[in-house]
This record gives sequence, C-alpha cells and structure tokens, in this order.
Amino acid sequence: MSLDAALPGDPVADLRARFGPRILAVQETAEDFPVLWVAPEAAVEVHRFLREEIAQPFALLADLWCIDEAGRTHRTGQPASGVTVCTHLVSLGRNADIRLKIACDAEAPAMPTLTGVYPNADWYEREAFDMFGVRFEGRTHHRRILMSPLWDGHPLRKSHYARATERPPFRMTDAHFDATEAAMQPDPEGWGHPLARDGHELMVLNFGPHHPSTHGVFRIVLGLDGEEVIWAEPDIGYHHRGAEKMAERQTWHGFIPYTDRIDYLGGVIHELPYLMAVERLCGITVPPRAQCIRVMLSEFYRILSHLLFYGTMAQDTGAMSPVFYMFTDRERIHRIMETITGGRMHPAFFRIGGVAMDLPTGWDRLVRDILEWLPPRMDEYERMVLKSELFRIRTQGIAAYDTATALEWGTTGPQLRATGCDWDLRKRRPYSGYEQYDFDVPIGLHGDCFDRTWVRAEEIRQSLRIIRQCLDNMPGGPVKADHPLTTPPPRGAMLQDIETLIHHFLAVSHGTVVPAGEATGQVEGHRGVTQYAIVSDGGTESHRTRIRTPSFAHLQMIPKVAPGLTVADLVVYIAAIDFVMSDVDR
Amino acid sequence: MSARLTPPQRAPAPGEAMALSALFTRLDDLVAWSRKHSLWPFNFGLSCCYVEMATALTPVYDQARFGAEVIRSTPRQADLLIVSGTVFHKMAVPLKRLYEQMREPRWVISMGACANSGGMYDVYPVVQGVDSFLPVDVYVPGCPPRPEQLMDALVLLQQKIAAERRPLGITLGGFQPGPTEPRPFDPVPRRDRLQPERAAATRLADPEST
Repeated sequence: MSLDAALPGDPVADLRARFGPRILAVQETAEDFPVLWVAPEAAVEVHRFLREEIAQPFALLADLWCIDEAGRTHRTGQPASGVTVCTHLVSLGRNADIRLKIACDAEAPAMPTLTGVYPNADWYEREAFDMFGVRFEGRTHHRRILMSPLWDGHPLRKSHYARATERPPFRMTDAHFDATEAAMQPDPEGWGHPLARDGHELMVLNFGPHHPSTHGVFRIVLGLDGEEVIWAEPDIGYHHRGAEKMAERQTWHGFIPYTDRIDYLGGVIHELPYLMAVERLCGITVPPRAQCIRVMLSEFYRILSHLLFYGTMAQDTGAMSPVFYMFTDRERIHRIMETITGGRMHPAFFRIGGVAMDLPTGWDRLVRDILEWLPPRMDEYERMVLKSELFRIRTQGIAAYDTATALEWGTTGPQLRATGCDWDLRKRRPYSGYEQYDFDVPIGLHGDCFDRTWVRAEEIRQSLRIIRQCLDNMPGGPVKADHPLTTPPPRGAMLQDIETLIHHFLAVSHGTVVPAGEATGQVEGHRGVTQYAIVSDGGTESHRTRIRTPSFAHLQMIPKVAPGLTVADLVVYIAAIDFVMSDVDR
Repeated sequence: MSARLTPPQRAPAPGEAMALSALFTRLDDLVAWSRKHSLWPFNFGLSCCYVEMATALTPVYDQARFGAEVIRSTPRQADLLIVSGTVFHKMAVPLKRLYEQMREPRWVISMGACANSGGMYDVYPVVQGVDSFLPVDVYVPGCPPRPEQLMDALVLLQQKIAAERRPLGITLGGFQPGPTEPRPFDPVPRRDRLQPERAAATRLADPEST
C-alpha cells in the first residue's frame, strides 16, 4: 500500500463543494484536524464520500462516540444539540484525520446508521445506544453491549447516577440471579445465526466468560460443526468499569491513576495520550527531559506487555516453559520501574506538564544492566518459540487477513503491521520527541498469527534501541513545565513565589481548572492506536472523556475471522489479538 | 504438628522402628494439615490483580513453596477462589455460579481494594465488595497487591485452615444422614452461618467505640 502519493486537496473544501449547506459548521478547536458539524440526514452520504469517493480516502473509522451536551456552557459556534454523535476518521494516505459531529435530540436521540459505510461502526453504535440511548435508524437490532441486558437507563447520560453508593447496596437475590442467568442464555436465532449446516445440527458452545484461554472475562458463543467454527458471537462488558464516567467526577489530575487501569498491562502508556490532550488545552510545552523520561518509561511498559504476550502466546500453542522465563525478565523490569516510579503495574507517574519527580540516582546503571541482559534472552526466546517447528505449524496461515480487511474493521497496532502496512504513529506523527530516535517499524507479510508474534518480538528489540538512546542522550533540565497549570507545580518555585503558591493552593484545594475546549491525544500504544478525546467546560473535571482503545475494535473482528477455524486455532487467534478486557470494556 | 524423615543409618532397634515409621496424631489434625498444604487455587481472574496473582506462581515468587501451585481451570477441581480484581455488576452472577460449582470445603481470598470494597471504583457498574454475596476468609489490601502480599494471605489462610475443626464423624445432636440425602457440613462453618448477616450490614461499629 503506497502512502506517499501526491498531496491531496483540503477535505473541508471538497466537502463544502459537494454538500454545501448540509455541512452545518466548522468548529474552532485546539485540534490539528478539522471538526465539522454535519446535518443528520446527510451523515451517511458524507461518510460514504469520505470513505469511497474522495482521493486518498479516510479508510479507517477510528472511533464513534457521543457527548451529552446537557449542562455544557461553553459551546460558542456550535449548532444546538442534545446528544452529539462524533466520528473520528483517519486517512493513512493523507496521514490526516477528520472528525464529524451530528447533532441529535436530547429526549429521543436518533440518526441513520453508518454500518452500511463502515462495518466496524456496528459495535460503536451499540455502545452509543447502551451508554446514551442513541437509536440508529436502519439497524436490525439495538442490543446492549457493555451493560447487562437487564440494566435500566443509559449510564453516560448526565441524568444517570455515577456512584454505586448513590443506590442501595447490591443484593444477590435469587430473583436477580435467575433473571440474569436467563437473560445471558445463548440465543443463536435471536442473533441471526443458523442452527444447522448442510442438514447437520450445529453444536452451540458457550465459551466464557470464565475460561483460561479468553485472557480475561470475555465470552464467545460458538456454532460448531465438529471442530470447525461456523459462527462466533462475542459478548463483552464483563469488565466494564465505568472509566469514562469516572473522568467526569475526578479532577483532571486525579484521573491519571484511572488511565493506568484502562489497560492494566500498559502502565504509563495510557497516561500519555490523556495528558497530551490536557496539555494541548492548557497550552503546555513539556520540557525535553520530561519527554525523554516519558518515552523511556513507555517503551519499558511496551516491553513488559509484549513479553507477557510472547509467553502466553507460546503457552496457548502448548509451550509451557517460555512464559516462566519471560516472567522472570518482567520482574527485572518491574524492579527498575519500581525504583523510578514507586509502582509496579500502576505507576501513575506522569503529571500535567511533566513527570512526578526526577530520575533517582543510579537509574542509568539499572537501565544499562537490563539493556545488556535482555538481547541474549530475546535470542533464546526466538529459538524457543519462533523457530520451534510446532509453533510454526500452529500459527502460520492461521487467522490471516489483509490490510484492507484490517482497516475495514478498525484494526491498528501490531496486527495491522503484521499485514504489511507500515503504520506506526511514533513514525507517522511523532509525539513526545519520537522524531529524535532512530528505530525501525517491523512489518509482517502474511497477516497471520505467526507474523503478529514476530512483529511484537521485533518491537521489543526496537524498544530496547529506543531505551538505549534515552540512556545515552538523557537531556538535563527540569522535569516539569514552567507553566501555571502544571500540576502540581515545581516545589522549589512553589516555596519561592506567591504566584505559583496560589496555583498550587487552588489545584490542591479546588482542582486545576483547564480552559474550555476540546482536544485529542493519540499515541501508538502497545496494542494499537490509543486516543483520548476530552471536552472541558472550563471546570475542574472533564465534561466528557472518550477513550478509544484498540482492543475494542480488535474483538469486533472475531466473527469475521473465526469462521473456518477449529476451536484450537481460535484459541491461538485470540492469543494473537493480545487484548486485555479492561482495554475493551474500559 | 510436624514430621521429619531421616534416612536410616543402621538397622533400628525394635521399638525404634515403630517410632520412625508410625505417626500418632488425631485424624482431625491430620486432615487439617493435609488441607493446609494442598490448596488448589481456581484459575480465575477478573482484572489487574490477576496479573499479580499469576506473577506469584512464576519462579521469582514460586507459590509452589506453599503447596498451592496446582492451578485448576475448572471450579469442580479447585478449593480456593482468589477473587482477583474488580467485581463487575455483569460478572457477579457468573462469579456466584462459579463459587457454587466448587466443592466443599472451599475458601475465598478477596484480593485487592476493588474486591474488598470497590476501591477506587465507586461507580455504577461495580459491586462494592465481593463479600456482599460471597463469604470471604482473607482480605488482601493493595491496588494491586504485590505477589508477596498474596503469599502472606496464603499463609494466613493456611493458619486458619490448620486451626479449622470440621468433625469427620457424626456429632452429638448433629444431622443424621439418611440413606439418600447427601451429608451437609456439620456443623455449618461460622463464616457461612454469619454471611447473610454480614452481607446485609450497612453500618460498621465505630472503631473509636471499642
């Protein structure tokens, strides 16, 4: 796929020329991509134009979400709206994004479905219905996706309660137990799946929500003809933790620990896109030393997560030993993370405008040790796993798909690169100083489970290269920005001048006030594109925080890829997706 | 209770042979001792804490030292449920079902702040503490607890199991098994007996008052 064609025209001009007044407004934001309001009746056509007709099209629907506009005061220049549906489109050819917004009614929000244009809009629309009650005309069903089918209300509406303790305590009554079990019974006919093939009755197998090879609380219902999967129906939401509602309650600073837990294997990786969005709104420039520390820690956590993937992937194909070796290496890295941040899995180390504290004395020796330790271990793992004949037989040619299919279903990260698509935000849209580092983006060829494993194994080596450069070139200077909204402000300055002391007092007693507006932070996470889209109404907490996680998109693809696999191969495919349920359900 | 095996250096004298090969103990103690050292944890994880629970099994921490490394994937073969992570509203019913599928005697460790009380997540889809519907033997604080903390909990649980008295024979005034009825645990463990009352408690005693 060529990404370097001639520079295309401005999509906003193209859209205005084509749709005229049906493009209602172009919103002023702090973003570096256009945000357009589209008339609801033109929504499908506009999306089709951007995906199919325009030069260098927007092939990837990265995200679709809603904003409840109730109680929002800073909306200058935006059309009236009760619930706003947003879509975020990405063009790989242009290396550019565009965001479209559609205004809906507050009482009975509705708009036409986009599933005819972008197939992966399906789960996002179900989520929008579940969380906001938006109905998408033309859909065959509106089933909840994250909440239990028996749930009452749409949790992300401002009118819905936030705290569990606002309600009477949870009681496990017999009636609740029986009703929930009945509602969770597999219903193949209701889902539109056949019960027979060529006169053979299919076996319906309920796989999860507790199963050792689903890597968390995830359920798939399978229709099987012998060992062969005929259809698969994933059921998610068993790990829904209400993180987006939490963001509307916690202060800007207080939400940082929650971002760690969005993807609990990613450590600081999720802190970065959130803070990039907040810093964009505040207008903070992060000093070079803080940027370098952020990059170094992110790469360490990328290695930690990929090592866990590598081990469990081998385990799911039947090799028990590698995971034990890899966990000992993870412990070595955890010890360094603990020395630097004080935490193992959830460090909460980044701050608005920098990082919590400077690197401790002697950090360089620890990092140097691990840089010497890991490469020979990686060679050994390659011999144990990637060069193992058994592993190759179990993974080569299994669950393969091409780049176009991957993009159609919103796949990003190592799985997209395994198909041969050279798309890594660290290279394409460098952030936090990634443009200064010398590293390669490993890409696969076949898009199968083997290539996905190989890409991640190679990414560990590239991350080590980046960490080596951080170690050799760590800049001096402050680890926090000299900006009034840096939270908490540098302690030395706080003790010296009254201005910083006032900001410190306000931030601690009241909460940092982030200027009103909308901003987005995107990073190349260890699983794919991770995006935080925040809306500030000029308060101490966000009006809306949307978290786009890669795993949500990746699981949606299972019904497309699974048919034809055997159950054992499905387990390998699930392992090769490398998801955690917290990253799916948030 | 302790036992030590020593290799014979010479042919033991009569009488001494019996002391080396025979063990005198009460059956109750022997059963409690065996249970204590052969916990089979259920391979069940909810969220972040599960990663630390899995880490405890790996060589650096080596949970096998406590005789609790035989992770079972089916509840029917396990006797220790470690609730490792957030108890989600949608997951509560499957969790209850899994617990019921475990055979007695069975124990529950509540691992991490979320399972203990909801922790950081006082939010609509989270059950505020697994003890609202399951009896808990040991609570482990932390978010997530370190593997060492989980091992500490294991040791606490072992001490509790070693001290547990579950009569093996028929007890005075107890249930007399009929020809077809399965024999319930008799007497009912205090933990199970008090569970409904504890789960319904909404006000805890003021720590200052005691």
